[in-house]
Amino acid sequence: MSCTIELEKGVIDTDLCTNCGACTNLCPYLISFKGRVIRVFNCETENGRCHAFCPRINVDSESLRDDFFDKEIYVPEIGPFYGLYLTRATDTGLRSNSQHGGTTTALLELALKEGFIDSAVLTQSTGGLEPQTIIATRPEDIRNCQGSSFQIPPTLAGLNEALKGEAYKKIGVVGTPCKTLAVYKMIKKLATDDEHGMDKIGMVFGLFCGWGLDWLGLDDLVKRHTTVNKLKQMDILPSSFGVMELKTEDGLIEIPLDEIYPIIKESCKYCTDFTAEFSDISIGGARSSAGWKVDQGWNQLIVRTEKGKELLEIARAKGVLEFKDMEPYNLDKLKKASMNKKRTGLKNLIEKTGNKSDLMYLSPNDPVIKGILNSAPFK
Amino acid sequence: MNEKRILLMGNEAIARGALEGGVSYSTGYPGNPSSEIIETMFSFKDKHEISVEWSVNEIVALEAAAAFSFAGLHAMVAMKQNGINVCSDFLTTVALDDLKGGLLLVVCDDPGPLTSSNEEDSRHFAKIAQVPLLEPSTPQEAKEMAKWLLNFSKQMGIPCILRSVSRLSHGRSGVTLDSIERPKAEPFFDRDKPLVGLPHLVTINHGKLLQKMEKVQQIFEQSPFNQYEGPDDARLIIMTTGLGFLYAREAVETLSLTDTVGILKIGTTWPLPAGLLQKYLKQADEVLFVEEIDPFLEDQVKVLYAETNGEMGAVKFYGKKSGDVQGPGGPGVGEINGDVVLDALTKILQRERPWSKDYAQKAAAHAEKMLVPRELSFCQGCPHRASFLAIKVALDLDGRQGFVVGDIGCYGLAAGATGFNQIKALHCMGSGMGNASGFSKLKSFGFNQPAVAVAGDSTFYHSCIPALVNAQANKADALFVVLDNSVTAMTGFQLNPASCGVAASDLINPIPVEELTRGLGIKTAVLDPVEDIGKAKETVYNFLQEDGVKVIVFRHVCATFKKKKIKDGQRSSARVDQEKCLGEQCGCDRFCVRIINCPAIQYDSPKAKAYIEEDICNGCSMCLQLCPQKAIMLVDTATGEVVK
Repeated sequence: MSCTIELEKGVIDTDLCTNCGACTNLCPYLISFKGRVIRVFNCETENGRCHAFCPRINVDSESLRDDFFDKEIYVPEIGPFYGLYLTRATDTGLRSNSQHGGTTTALLELALKEGFIDSAVLTQSTGGLEPQTIIATRPEDIRNCQGSSFQIPPTLAGLNEALKGEAYKKIGVVGTPCKTLAVYKMIKKLATDDEHGMDKIGMVFGLFCGWGLDWLGLDDLVKRHTTVNKLKQMDILPSSFGVMELKTEDGLIEIPLDEIYPIIKESCKYCTDFTAEFSDISIGGARSSAGWKVDQGWNQLIVRTEKGKELLEIARAKGVLEFKDMEPYNLDKLKKASMNKKRTGLKNLIEKTGNKSDLMYLSPNDPVIKGILNSAPFK
Repeated sequence: MNEKRILLMGNEAIARGALEGGVSYSTGYPGNPSSEIIETMFSFKDKHEISVEWSVNEIVALEAAAAFSFAGLHAMVAMKQNGINVCSDFLTTVALDDLKGGLLLVVCDDPGPLTSSNEEDSRHFAKIAQVPLLEPSTPQEAKEMAKWLLNFSKQMGIPCILRSVSRLSHGRSGVTLDSIERPKAEPFFDRDKPLVGLPHLVTINHGKLLQKMEKVQQIFEQSPFNQYEGPDDARLIIMTTGLGFLYAREAVETLSLTDTVGILKIGTTWPLPAGLLQKYLKQADEVLFVEEIDPFLEDQVKVLYAETNGEMGAVKFYGKKSGDVQGPGGPGVGEINGDVVLDALTKILQRERPWSKDYAQKAAAHAEKMLVPRELSFCQGCPHRASFLAIKVALDLDGRQGFVVGDIGCYGLAAGATGFNQIKALHCMGSGMGNASGFSKLKSFGFNQPAVAVAGDSTFYHSCIPALVNAQANKADALFVVLDNSVTAMTGFQLNPASCGVAASDLINPIPVEELTRGLGIKTAVLDPVEDIGKAKETVYNFLQEDGVKVIVFRHVCATFKKKKIKDGQRSSARVDQEKCLGEQCGCDRFCVRIINCPAIQYDSPKAKAYIEEDICNGCSMCLQLCPQKAIMLVDTATGEVVK
């Protein structure tokens, strides 16, 4: 079967597609548009890059992990793990426009300055809507991309663009777990095709992700409550708060989560990665079990590779980031949240296929998955 | 005068006949197989001081021509079979007039359609309107009939129809020419003899028409256009019209039946010469009907037979109704030929066929092996390719399973791969816009698939305007894309109200589509789809998101017309950078040859690279924008210099 048809039938039509963008901008056949990947024409190639890059086809996490991460530091709940930190940008200006503590922006700027990367594929949005992928090469470009977009923009379409030609030699990528997984699949495929192919990816920054929202659904939701040009930022608070916050020129608008749940992106229900396990460093909002307010304005950060460690040390040495002491229960809480997402994702997949040994894109032989399926409530 | 005999196409012969008959005005709307009639009249125009025009549609053509007849001069109107439907409203009313000059309507049918969206037998209109109709069998006869009918129409004061078919219109044979009559009458409209179709006058005029037709029939009984050949005592008689006569003669001669089988060729198909037919019905035991398309003669002769209440004795009828005369498509479907008649005769006479029945199929199968397979395709550089690509992608992005409702023109090919299989409904001139308007009214029934109507510039003026006004007035939500290539391209680049720029002519006052649509208060965008396919896609997508009636005019002159018109001068062609071309590799997979599919783009399989046939490339540069590898450039073919 041609790879475009296989993607359409196996990923798009089955609602597994996350719109990460890994399959787009490679050819004239697949286009990402307003949250959907559309097969415009059929390509007859059977082993195309779209297929190899897709994070929702043939994911062999174990083997991919072994290729890129130290086995010794692997933690089943949250992936490769050198350490968990509570951080925020030291620069208060930067912090004032950030989603949480501005750690991602600060680290990207640092990575660019220190030569870890020469460019960064990022998403720029209007208060979280109309996200666009850009290739940033200057710190000020990076700052323009602060804030989250829950529409899951096809960032990797931008990466595919950046990979064309010789303009960028060490590209930094920032993305949700589906995207960073795809990036590692991309690196593997590129390395297979060309031994230096993988060198072009400088560093991967993962973003913690519970779920994203349907592109058009979020557009409609925002339009019901405010106008797009007044929107400055949006955030979804922990579920105990039961609200989504829209920060607008007219003030804060709280939207009850009951309005959000129906527009959760269907594909996110089949995701088992909360912490972006495939990355050098992954970053999320800090959520202390002692209370949301306790760590508000801070990020939690997992270091997964030597390169990640190195960058974080420079950030500490140069005072780019502030560090906060962490209570031991923070790691336990994160592990628990991460494991919950794995269980939920697997449950939804099994419900979809009606078969415990058919997990669609995931391998039932992966030891972590096996472990979960062999314990309650699956056993 | 010395007799002059020249080779003429049937349509040229019809035009020549009209000229010889003293025609002053010729109008028509282009459509295969009729287009060459008016084209030929244009070639007579200046020398013979004839007024000729391509009208915007057939009813206007007939109405305009009728004015000459009202004023005492001869006029001819030419059209294809679909056209007679368009002008039928006027035809059935003008038939009730007492005409002063000859009014000849030439209609060319397209059996086994080569270029039509129906397979209509226009002869029925002669019966509906109650006007005379003749059917020629050869170009010579076509000329004679055209000439005779103009004067006969004047003599009887009623319009007359000459019916041709594709093979006659486009077949050539030697035609003996006669002298050219020029009109002697001064045109004058007599205000004391109004031509008014008010209801209380209709019954009176209808009665007069029927009386005229009785007289016509008496004249037709003696018409030399009806001929009998064969033995006087033939018991099997073939009754035939038009080209059927030649097919019948071929079959009779092939089977050496000239001594036993008679052929009655009827040229005056309506009203039928009842006396003549009854004479042969009385003589025959068996009658075989040979005609294209419907069993028109067959049905009418059976009526005549029934009307004699048994005086004719027992006659066995063979034809389409009995299933004895039929091609591969079945009786009344597709063209017939000598073989079909041969088949019928051998069956009736229980004779051996001189060659096997599947001979034709075997020959076709053999020929097919020698042919390079080619699919129907837009010409190289055709702007419709860019337009349909833009529409296709925009509909895909829109995601509501939208579709295109089409119309009649080259762009009808967009129902196939060359137009990315976009057209999903195609009927008659102007129907796309009417359909799109109606589809939008399904909204209140839960239907949300957008229907995009497309029509060419000529079709737009022909019959889309009422549909557009209807959509706008009735608050429809519809997107209408006018594919404006400046000429009526499919039928041979005739002028129309959109003709401007390269296609400009002293004969036409150009009327830009957008001026008309904007005048209706309709939001209209005008852009060149070839120049910027991205913008074209975006415009279609954006317009699809808006309520109300919207028009996009995709304007780019027909590439083939331009190439023919500008024979000299700088020529540019696309060229593929062989180093950059990805061929079958991931990221391309022969996108230009497989999907864009312009005939100028070819693929070198051993090298796995695309290349351009520079001799046929029109240099439109569409492929430059679409090559994913940016491997195509535009070069000046004279200097080899890269232009773009």
